[in-house]
Amino acid sequence: ASASNAGADDDRLAVDRARFLAEADAVTDRAGLDALRVSWLGRKKGRIKDLMGQMKSVPADARRAYGQAVNALKQTVDARLAELTEAFESRASAARAAEARIDLTLPGRPPALGGLHPVTRVTRTIESIFASLGYSVAEGPEVEDDVRNFEKLNIPADHPARDDQDTFFLDGDYGARGLLLRTHTSPVQVRTMLARNGGQLPIRVICPGRVYRNDNDLRHSPMFHQVECLAIAEGLTVGDLKGTLEAFLQALFTPDTQIRLRPSFFPFTEPSAEVDITCPFCGGSGTVTAADGSEMPCPVCSGTGWIEILGCGMVDPRVLDACGIDPAVYSGFAFGLGLDRVAMIRYDIPNIRMLFDNDERLLRQVQD
Amino acid sequence: MRFSYRWLADYVDLPDPSAEDDGAHVLATQLTDAGLAIEGFEDVPADGDAPADAVLDLEITTNRPDAMNHLGLAREIAVLRDTPLRPPPVGEPSAADDDTTEGQTAAGAAKLVVEDLARCPRYVALVIRGVTVGPSPDGLRRRLETIGVRSINNVVDVTNYVLWETGQPLHAFDLKRLEGAQVRVRPAAEGETLTTLDGVERTLDPSMLVIADAAQPIALAGIMGGADSEVTEATVDVLLESAHFDPATVRRGAKTLGMHTDASHRFERGTDPEACLWAARRAAAMLVDVAGGTLLTGTLEARVSLDPPPPIEIDLDALAAFAGIAIDTEEAVRILTGLGFAVERDAAAADGRRYRVTPPSWRQPDFVDPYPADVYEEVLRIIGLDAIPSTLPAIGDVDAPVAPRIALRRRIQDHLAACGLAEAINFAFLDRARDAAFPSPLGAQQPIALRNPLSERYAVLRRGLLANLVESAHYNLRRGADAVRLFEIGHAFGDDRDAPVPDALRESDLDGVAELETVALVLGGRAGTPWEGGRTFDVFDLKGIVESLAARCGVALVARPADADAVVAGYGTHGLRAGAAATLHRANRANDAPAVGVIGLLADAGAGARSQTGLDLAVAELRVAALLPETDARLGVTVPPRQPGITVDTTLNHPRDVAWTTIAAAIDDARVDDLRTARLKDRYTGKGVTAGTVNTTISFHFQSDARSLTQDEVNDRHQALARALTERFGA
Repeated sequence: ASASNAGADDDRLAVDRARFLAEADAVTDRAGLDALRVSWLGRKKGRIKDLMGQMKSVPADARRAYGQAVNALKQTVDARLAELTEAFESRASAARAAEARIDLTLPGRPPALGGLHPVTRVTRTIESIFASLGYSVAEGPEVEDDVRNFEKLNIPADHPARDDQDTFFLDGDYGARGLLLRTHTSPVQVRTMLARNGGQLPIRVICPGRVYRNDNDLRHSPMFHQVECLAIAEGLTVGDLKGTLEAFLQALFTPDTQIRLRPSFFPFTEPSAEVDITCPFCGGSGTVTAADGSEMPCPVCSGTGWIEILGCGMVDPRVLDACGIDPAVYSGFAFGLGLDRVAMIRYDIPNIRMLFDNDERLLRQVQD
Repeated sequence: MRFSYRWLADYVDLPDPSAEDDGAHVLATQLTDAGLAIEGFEDVPADGDAPADAVLDLEITTNRPDAMNHLGLAREIAVLRDTPLRPPPVGEPSAADDDTTEGQTAAGAAKLVVEDLARCPRYVALVIRGVTVGPSPDGLRRRLETIGVRSINNVVDVTNYVLWETGQPLHAFDLKRLEGAQVRVRPAAEGETLTTLDGVERTLDPSMLVIADAAQPIALAGIMGGADSEVTEATVDVLLESAHFDPATVRRGAKTLGMHTDASHRFERGTDPEACLWAARRAAAMLVDVAGGTLLTGTLEARVSLDPPPPIEIDLDALAAFAGIAIDTEEAVRILTGLGFAVERDAAAADGRRYRVTPPSWRQPDFVDPYPADVYEEVLRIIGLDAIPSTLPAIGDVDAPVAPRIALRRRIQDHLAACGLAEAINFAFLDRARDAAFPSPLGAQQPIALRNPLSERYAVLRRGLLANLVESAHYNLRRGADAVRLFEIGHAFGDDRDAPVPDALRESDLDGVAELETVALVLGGRAGTPWEGGRTFDVFDLKGIVESLAARCGVALVARPADADAVVAGYGTHGLRAGAAATLHRANRANDAPAVGVIGLLADAGAGARSQTGLDLAVAELRVAALLPETDARLGVTVPPRQPGITVDTTLNHPRDVAWTTIAAAIDDARVDDLRTARLKDRYTGKGVTAGTVNTTISFHFQSDARSLTQDEVNDRHQALARALTERFGA
């Protein structure tokens, strides 16, 4: 009887097991899992508790087997519930992980990138090249007088060389005093020389700055920028001028830049020369390769392989004399170049006016 | 300036222009290397019996009027190519210059009076009778046309030919049309008029020199002849003028009258005073040749002796040292002699490389009060500067380090660029109204006007940078920018004759001119990229940049509310919005110290108007000098406390017109123990806040160097401070 009783209990527990397994299989979410747990393991109304409660009605000899069977069922329930819990948890954490995924290909939120003006960048480059050669930077006012802008530079009144530098004069009494907007930064050279009172030599300075000429068309701006260089010492030679120019222009453009000097005339230097460099765009070949692969004349140097870049010379003894330096003892050289043009070459800016439109779309591109 | 290759070959041996290895192109390069720069080149094909030619277009610099003609250029070529020069034939001087027989001699046919020998030190006139005016022979016409000179008639063409051959400007008068058969060289009378060859009536003044007959001016000396005495088909007798005029007189006259001619171009640069006579004879001989007639004997001439150019002592060793290349004695002498210099060895000098060199008459303008370097230049340009080896000067000690002002400017530029601003550069001039419509550091001064501005748009120099910088902002906005962030560093200018700028603030040494460097900023539009949200820049973004700039430069600035359109000492606030303008001052200075800058929003109306842009633009400008730190500024740091601190907030309700700086100063003055910072946390007006008042929430941070503070002790101090603030400022 006990065996049969035990067998009947076993059958009954087998039904419970099958029912639990079916119910467990049907669980689809965490709420269902919790309900399943309560309905089987609940402390008050759980099926396992219920089955344990029936122990009293089981004959004494079968109780042990019955208890073992209920325990076995409970273990099955526990194991299966643990299995389901883990499955749900891993599913949830996968969902959380998917949720937390970020697309690092999205753009960042950069602090705005400002920029220095192309002319400022070129000026700084040149200042640092000359700093390494031992030159300091000198500056001066933009409103100057005729004496420093012209006369001390061997350009007396009524000199035809004044035609080359269309000058803005100040109005009224100012004009009568010869006040003007400086046409070059040479007045800073004059100031530098005069400040030495005939002594405190040698001089090595560069004079960058804004200058003005009454000229306004596609190729000329009434305001532009220059840097001038002045060196004065005993025994400076034309060769020193050439060597300095080479060192400077190779540092500014490319190390293989070649220069050539064409004698010219400036009232403040003699001998004077225009300096050409091998075109930095085509490397001096005069030709560039067009988009379709064909050779075409270089647009920067018009196919000549050379571009005119600056004017230079040995300081005219009249200028030294006028500035209190004895030309019998000292010699010097000077040169000047347009910073705007260098900026245009360096940054491929086709028109000088674009430098002063101040279009932020252009300005912000210039970062080096 | 155009030159005919064939014409040059009249005076110097040259190969065929098309010769590949030594033709016109090679010559062009040689000339360029000697300072006569080639600007253009043109092949001229053969024409009938005229052989092919080439035109060299040269830039002849202003110091070389002697090379602005074929003979002068040929002289250079002869030296460059070491080949002889063949000057053109010149008619023999006629005898009997004093023969005054009526009709037979120049002196009998016309009279010459030079009233102003200072400005006309040489005047030569020849008379040719019985010419037949007509077209020029083909050869003459072709030569002139090759170099771009229009053929007029045989007489005028001869004068032009000799100008382009010798550089001496000549003029042919129709002698019969000269009242009293005379020429007088005299200053023009005030208001006197002359119709010149170009048909324009010119009004003259005494600064100009004229050639006149007995009645009236017949030519503008050195510039252009008059229409009334010009040679025509009817002309029979010609008076040929060849003179030397004072360069400055010709230049001033031509400039005053707005004229520029082949003659004036040469006279104002200086012609050869010794060329007048022989060039006139050359022309007279050619004239008789092509137009017939008879050259009367004798020359009408007026002259004063001109100081010959003084000899220059040169030393070829000094030249070699100056150039940095060995100089061959014979070559140097050959070059100078070929160029027309008289070269005389200094026998007294022991070493034999010293010479006395006298420049030729045609180079006089370039050798006034000469220096040896003037001569060295001549040798070097022929040798060629490219032949000189490059060296680097051996100068010792490094010059001064970067000047503080330059270092400061770089720091400002770098900081503002790092703050996201792009650097602009604008013209320094603008129109008066715009200049007056913006704040500026020279608002108390008048603007400085240009005598010859490009146009009224650029009539005055800027008194501040904002006017043009705001225009740059508009430029960007018109092109669709959603934000503008610009700065500029530059000079501002003002007339300080009536309202002097204090000496301490002056940056120019020119009397009556205030010129100073300022930095200006403009900010507006969307802050950040679109996906950062819709915030727009306001004036506090700009103020933050200005404050960080000051901090970066080691100075502190304070803002003082200012009336719009007021001129505070040191700064004007024109064009800023009422209630949204302040002047900037260095902190810890006297209350009446001048403003160093200005900040605010642009007014809704006016030149910077919001209506033009749809945006509020915040602007600021300050003097660069105001950012120079005190000379005794300390570099050391304050070691931060290691104990934890406590932060407590207080909200203060107060009238709107109590400035934050007033509250902040009161907090400072309270000197609360261990109070490190008092930072603005919030400003609120609206629901629950009485009109005319504002809730200001301040975040106080307490921290001690010595120990951890307790919440209780902080609360006590904080509540005491809050009570004191409420009592003093509370609404």
